[in-house]
Amino acid sequence: MTYRVGVDIGGTFTDFCVLGETSGDIKTLKVLSQPDKPGAEVIEGLKELERRYGIPPADISYFTHGTTVGVNTVIQRRGVPLALFTTEGFEDVLEVARLKMPDPYDLFSRRPESLSPRERVFGIRERVLADGKIDTPADAESVIRAIDRAQADGAQAIVVAFLHSYVNAANERRVRDLIRERSPEMSITLSSEVWPVIREYERTVTATVAGYVQARVANYLSTWQAALKEAGVACEPMITKSNGGVMRAELGKTAPIQMLLSGTASGVIGASRIAAQTGVSSVLSFDVGGTSADVAIIHDGKPAFGTGERVGDFQIHIPTVSVSSIGAGGGSIARVDEFNVLKVGPESAGSNPGPACYGRGGANATITDAYAVCGFLGSGDLGYGAVTLDLNRAHEVVGEVAGKLGMGVEAAAEAIIKVSVSGMFLEISKLFSRHGADPRHFALLPFGGAGPMTACLLARDLGLERIIVPPTPGVLAAFGGLVADIRNDFIRTAFVDLDKAGLTSLKGHAADLAQQARTWLTEEQKFKGHARLQYSADMRYRGQSYEIEVPLQEAWIETGNLQAVGNAFHAEHERVYEHADAKAPVQIVNLRLVVSGASPQPKVKRAELMRRAATPVAETRVFYDGAHVSAGIYDRDKLVPGERFAGPAIVRQSDCTTCLVGGFRATVDEFSNLIITRDASAS
Amino acid sequence: MSIDTITLEILKNHARAAAESMAFTLYRTAHATFVKETEDFTTGLTTPAGETYATPIELGATWFVGLNYGPVIRAIPHYDEGDICITNDPYSGFVCTHSPDIHIWKPIFHEGEIVSFSVGHIHHTDMGGAVPASLSRSLTEVHQEGIRIPPTKIMTKGVVNQQVLDILMANVRAPEQSWGDLKAQIASCNTGERKVREMIAKFGVATFKQGIEDLLGYAEAQARAIVRRIPDGAYQFADYMDEDAVDGKPCRLNLMMTVKDGSLHFDFTGSDPQLESSLNIPTGGDERHTLLCVGLVYALYSLDPTLFLNSGIARILSSTLPKGTMINPQFPAAVGMRTLSAKRLQGVILGAFARALPGEMPAASASGGPIMNVNTTDNRTGRRLMAAINPMVGGAGGRAMEDGADGSGANQGFLKNTPVEINEAEVPLRFERYGLAKDSGGPGKHRGGLGTEMKFEVFAPNTRVTARNRDRTVFAGWGMRGGRVGANSAFWLNPGSNRAFNLRNTDIVKVGPGDVVYVACGGASGYGDPLERDPRKVALDVRRGYVSADKAREDYGVVIVDGAVDAAATASLRKERKAESQKGEPAIFDYGAARDAHEAIWTEKSYATLTKLLAAQPVHWRFYLKHRVFDAIAALPDGERKGDGSDVARIFAKLIEEFPQLAAQAAE
Repeated sequence: MTYRVGVDIGGTFTDFCVLGETSGDIKTLKVLSQPDKPGAEVIEGLKELERRYGIPPADISYFTHGTTVGVNTVIQRRGVPLALFTTEGFEDVLEVARLKMPDPYDLFSRRPESLSPRERVFGIRERVLADGKIDTPADAESVIRAIDRAQADGAQAIVVAFLHSYVNAANERRVRDLIRERSPEMSITLSSEVWPVIREYERTVTATVAGYVQARVANYLSTWQAALKEAGVACEPMITKSNGGVMRAELGKTAPIQMLLSGTASGVIGASRIAAQTGVSSVLSFDVGGTSADVAIIHDGKPAFGTGERVGDFQIHIPTVSVSSIGAGGGSIARVDEFNVLKVGPESAGSNPGPACYGRGGANATITDAYAVCGFLGSGDLGYGAVTLDLNRAHEVVGEVAGKLGMGVEAAAEAIIKVSVSGMFLEISKLFSRHGADPRHFALLPFGGAGPMTACLLARDLGLERIIVPPTPGVLAAFGGLVADIRNDFIRTAFVDLDKAGLTSLKGHAADLAQQARTWLTEEQKFKGHARLQYSADMRYRGQSYEIEVPLQEAWIETGNLQAVGNAFHAEHERVYEHADAKAPVQIVNLRLVVSGASPQPKVKRAELMRRAATPVAETRVFYDGAHVSAGIYDRDKLVPGERFAGPAIVRQSDCTTCLVGGFRATVDEFSNLIITRDASAS
Repeated sequence: MSIDTITLEILKNHARAAAESMAFTLYRTAHATFVKETEDFTTGLTTPAGETYATPIELGATWFVGLNYGPVIRAIPHYDEGDICITNDPYSGFVCTHSPDIHIWKPIFHEGEIVSFSVGHIHHTDMGGAVPASLSRSLTEVHQEGIRIPPTKIMTKGVVNQQVLDILMANVRAPEQSWGDLKAQIASCNTGERKVREMIAKFGVATFKQGIEDLLGYAEAQARAIVRRIPDGAYQFADYMDEDAVDGKPCRLNLMMTVKDGSLHFDFTGSDPQLESSLNIPTGGDERHTLLCVGLVYALYSLDPTLFLNSGIARILSSTLPKGTMINPQFPAAVGMRTLSAKRLQGVILGAFARALPGEMPAASASGGPIMNVNTTDNRTGRRLMAAINPMVGGAGGRAMEDGADGSGANQGFLKNTPVEINEAEVPLRFERYGLAKDSGGPGKHRGGLGTEMKFEVFAPNTRVTARNRDRTVFAGWGMRGGRVGANSAFWLNPGSNRAFNLRNTDIVKVGPGDVVYVACGGASGYGDPLERDPRKVALDVRRGYVSADKAREDYGVVIVDGAVDAAATASLRKERKAESQKGEPAIFDYGAARDAHEAIWTEKSYATLTKLLAAQPVHWRFYLKHRVFDAIAALPDGERKGDGSDVARIFAKLIEEFPQLAAQAAE
């Protein structure tokens, strides 16, 4: 039998998810990440797969992989020294940004230092106008001068981002030729090739992030490809992308920007796949790790996409699965302020030293310690035996908080949990409001090390009726990469009115985009299957300063169907903003195209349901809602599809713990998902 | 009785979630560009008495944290479930501060009792009146600023009060947009109501009712703890606007801030008389008015960002707001452009805090840049176009530990710009420059943040460029502890050509094809002696184009040769400079040459005398008299001004002689 392997490399652990092609069996594995030795953890994991499950590398038929190397390069500021060439007169584009400061109430709020510091920004004499006309060709002399100065200043990469290059990139390309001639070693990034869309700050900052990480990511991928080959994996490896798709690893070397947020995106793809299995169309993907909780809305089975997602200090403006990060995780620290008010987070003990109960030197009470004190953790091991819980330590640190609050240690632990849940409630409420969605129509899909631990209490606050805990919550991102489609995005700024002439020019743009997309899919991606093309347009009423994305049918563009395009926009505007004006003039700012090719879909095992009550492996005492109660302990891998049980209960598995409080009951579905529902009477 | 602090923290998160949800609902469903581009709106939840216990911080204007709806709530004699009330009248309760702001409030009932109000406002595009958008500095009466709706019900028991709506819509220039925005406000209040019900279900009504009072108490306690860091005492600060009306006289705001055991008192005696322009600040004498709280909230939040933002903060404040002054104008004085004067008001409060805590507070932030609009014609289509092209702002002041942020920051950090590419694609303009203005940051050991500058060419005749809220052409901000003021703002037509014209504080200018408009916000001011700035930092500023080599030498005593510091030349130049300026400890503040020159004539004593004499005259005479006194003082030969108040008293006495009707009044 051959196997499909998904790998997600995180800060602490590298997760493996393995799927037997014919059996549909899923196996998981976690090994410690080795940030200093790229590829080493993958090799170690492959060895472990063979040792533990008898899967030789040669039997691996499909391999996907997500890495944080790009993101860490930005966060740790370890990219190459970068220079930026802008249009003369606009050298401060990164410094001025969009003006609005990170915290507008704080007089001391500041923007992070740019990746290309201002002294390495060079204005080039050139100008393209808004309609694409070249007013001034790139002046060779000013380019040469800038190259020499950049080089003298130690720049190893140059980003070129000129005004209006989204409509005419000739000047950017001309400068690339000049750089290649003058300085062949220099790595070059053009803003028009990263994501050619109107709005100069957004395009420029995205291009600088791309240029900054390029060398490091390419280097990493090469090392890793070689290691994989040496280990005996014969198939061509794929990498996961921020847009929730995958591409050949080779392509990541030239388009590293597209993989920066692939870890969180793959998690959401995994979540949406699990949701589809269970027949639920609207879910809140809830991924909680040590320092943060990543939440995303999946509506009608589709993840929400956005641009402007955060990479370290910067927002990057390419299509990305939209994920909001909340500063609350298992390692979030509790403290008591001078007014005797309990605060939890955003300070975090992270994964190192981690919660006090991990016994690695953590000295502060964290959310995980609070769960331990309440009795929810500690009856099994955590993280594949990598961590053993020190319950005494948890009692000590939570006891300190309790002392300050003048309450019992368990009551303080419960207070920490409730305060942290209310903080998550705040952020998730905002997310739902932003989307104009009602949380009560959503199911919660918790994963990551700490998601299933918190799910019931959060669902109770948000008014969610149903929780779906996937079979492998600790490796859902790896699973997501495994099932993701090949996918790429294309864009063309049109900036036309929605009228006959506008739609005619749109037709030309659509044909160009389709050509680009097909070329990418067959020649670069080397995909032989069926290509799916989905058009959409960023549209607005004239006078608005923001656009909404409207899905368009190819035929509407082909036949110049003004009515259909207009109606689609008015309807979408009505859906998003609750009003529309069929008589108002409409503009099309950008035309977009998503090309995708279905990855071979794995067969997932569907079991017969054994409808019966589950038997706990043990009983324990837990403390919540102010009282000690008895809770059944269940082992996840012993639970059989169709078995059911009621909270309070604790479900143990090798990489996470699921906590059920009273008022919730659980059953195992035919795909081994744990389906937890809230009793109608429980509030 | 208070609820326990654990429940308080949880309730706090739920209350903020409610306020944020209201803001997102409003932002999502509103029509006006003011909402989408400048987020000029607010939402919130108040106690039955009207104090705001929860406010959004992710979206919305930063000005309304301290808002107390009490006066307008009390103006409605009876509430039923499903009622929604509105007002946009700056003179009915002083919750609304200029006519475009429509405020609405909805009572939330629980078992027949009002337990909370959900509230909010939007800056509507137009309220009718003398000019489009209803705002102009030249207006003198509130009646010119559009229709005024005193507190009234727009919905009664869930049904729209059509007559009120019809009257409103008949008077505004963009009725469909206004109705759309009003609906967004109503939707936002309904969201707030739903969220309050959810909180009551979760916490119980008794805990909820007590809890929201405790949230105010918590913010108050936090605010007091921050203010206790300030030594008890009195801290004076004054600042000026260049003009008190179009082509007017300098306009002074004066504050004496008294700190006593965690409480503050703001005394605005000495501020200018009520203005014959729309720059008045309508506080109605409310000593905790929301516009007084803006600067206060900025100061306290910056000193401790864990401060929970609600109107409990205002409880530490009391004020003296003399009647008939610009800070407490009497009906029907115009108030539409209070944005500009309210910004100076924030500055005056931050300045008083800086005097009180010079080690912690920053020097003056950048100011004086306008909100720029262009109204022109597309030569290809003949279509008339109107576009908001950019708010011109600048950076934050330097402070004891670091430079100020460049380009944006401090109390202007909430505004967003429009990309050059969008402007050029939408409007037939061509930009030559948009960026940071070289040498605009006030010199200092820690430099003030740079202002932004913009230069564009116009291609069609009869193009109108509007520059609202221009100031700081004359007066600058304030540097601290040896740091100096930032550069003035600038507004030029065709700079550097033989057609160059200085537009100074002009609000609106008509230009034509081939004209080039240049506008720059002033820079923020510096902190600490510039001669002590690390020469490497000066060199880096020069390389970055933030400071010219000339200014590096002149202001910082740093000699740059081929981009690098000439250490020997720098050392000797700095030594020389130090010797020149050796006059002991520098004053806390440097106000720049223009203000020094003005205050050499208009001394503290002269102002005190004028303030006293004007206070005794009828309100409608004061502005006129101030101008006459200013003219007379200006006409005195330089050597004849004593500056001890006697000049002012003598001139004033002559004016009283000139106008016998005043003498009679003064005698009464």
